Amino acid sequence: MTQNIQSIPPFAGFGLGLRRTHYEDFLESAVPVDFVEVISENYMIEGGRQLRILEQVRSQYPVILHGVSMSIGSAGGLDQDHLARLKLLADRIEPLWVSDHLCWTRTSAHNSHDLLPMPLTEEALQAVCANIDRAQETLGRAMLFENPSSYLTFPEDEISEWEFLAEMARRTGCYLLLDVNNIYVSARNHGFSAEDYLAGLPLERVRQIHLAGHDPATPERDVIIDTHDREVADGVWDLYAKAIAMLPQPVATMIERDEHIPPLPDLLAELDKARGIASEALVPA
Amino acid sequence: MSDTLAERQAAFLAAILDERAPLPAAWGNRQAMGMQVYRGNYRSALIGALESTFERTCRYVGEAPFKQAAINHAIQHPPSGWTIDEAGKGFDATCAALFANNPEVAQLAWLEWAMLELATAPDCEALTPQAFAEATAGFADEDWMALRFDFQPRSTARGVTANLTGLWPALEEGAEIDRPEPILAQQRGCIAWREGERPTFKLVDDAAAAAFTQMQSGASYGEMILALAGDGSDPEAVQNAAMQAGAFLGDWLSEGMITALRA
Repeated sequence: MTQNIQSIPPFAGFGLGLRRTHYEDFLESAVPVDFVEVISENYMIEGGRQLRILEQVRSQYPVILHGVSMSIGSAGGLDQDHLARLKLLADRIEPLWVSDHLCWTRTSAHNSHDLLPMPLTEEALQAVCANIDRAQETLGRAMLFENPSSYLTFPEDEISEWEFLAEMARRTGCYLLLDVNNIYVSARNHGFSAEDYLAGLPLERVRQIHLAGHDPATPERDVIIDTHDREVADGVWDLYAKAIAMLPQPVATMIERDEHIPPLPDLLAELDKARGIASEALVPA
Repeated sequence: MSDTLAERQAAFLAAILDERAPLPAAWGNRQAMGMQVYRGNYRSALIGALESTFERTCRYVGEAPFKQAAINHAIQHPPSGWTIDEAGKGFDATCAALFANNPEVAQLAWLEWAMLELATAPDCEALTPQAFAEATAGFADEDWMALRFDFQPRSTARGVTANLTGLWPALEEGAEIDRPEPILAQQRGCIAWREGERPTFKLVDDAAAAAFTQMQSGASYGEMILALAGDGSDPEAVQNAAMQAGAFLGDWLSEGMITALRA
């Protein structure tokens, strides 16, 4: 368990990822979101327009720092430079929270710049927890970690992904970022029940939900791919409603779009759909 | 693959980087299919990052040749840093080797990389011509000769033969300008720096770019003059070099490229 870190209180709201295409929208007028999320690494820079814009946006909205390169599952430990720069950014922005993924991206020699799957073993769990403890201690705050999409599982796996996440949260005191699309994608790719996955998680540790689109399987490729390049699929909306109904506390929900980014009103309409589904899911049957 | 997590991760990444690398004996078709997805993700992420950084170079050479150059670069220089932007480091050298008969390609790539670097460089205050005049008002000859400058972080210069000032706007997204003759009649210099938050560049005298690089590397004002004067034995040449150096300095100051003096 990471020592001396404060708990993260629940935050209820609906937000979007801040992307360059929408900078002017956010700077010119009020956008009806409760928070924005940015890719941490895009702002772990020394100066320039991009950093100034983030500070301007931060003065109007709560900001979440969401990383893609911490490589919390690397057997060789964390990248000192990455962690130091993330701390500088977090101290500068004072985010709602800082998150990354349960995955690894690099070895000491090379970086894949992709979210690679962890073997679900005790050895991997120990490596992940040691890295989380170090990250949380350095940052001086608890972090959220997101369940990844994956395209293969390992013969050496000893436990399920939800058991891994649950144990990781228990041992380190970290929180969970529930990517509902990723659960849907991995459940289809590996043949497990998405409902079992949800039921097996410590839901009281969830502080945020991600929703995104994916590329369905084809006759030539029997794998669903997490792409963030289109609207959220119906099956993911259904799972989102189930997750909201199961969660014991309110959470922050956001739509992720990283490719084929549409005009902001289109994303806001999709976010309204999330609001509606969440609202209905909370009505007692 | 081997037993420890570190060994498994090294082997997994090796299999992503090299499609000929063997997969673990215990793996079946599902794992092999999954590995194909990770290989595709790796390749498309790097190509996408390079297309984004070198968008003008891509438009200039065309999508297919650019993609081939990007794959070549990724194979020769697999990324190691935490930011994917670093994947573009050295891409100008890759272009120089692949497009040897078109030197403008590598020079365009060099400029796009310089502009990216400048966009995220530390913010700084330029030394104004007035502040410079005040700071050097009492300088004796030897003070001038020993004078050194700090330039904007990540500002850079080189000699070029490419018509960068013509190509740059013509290759902007959506530009409807005829592409200019890509090669200049004679070699010039190019200096890239930042105006406020905006990276910019201009073509200058080749000697000005060389002098900029020399002083950025720590040379003194006196050393710059001697370099411009050749062997320094001709007093008239030294006099002319001093005037040339003064003109360069005036330009650097008026453009805000100098941030501090070190006497």
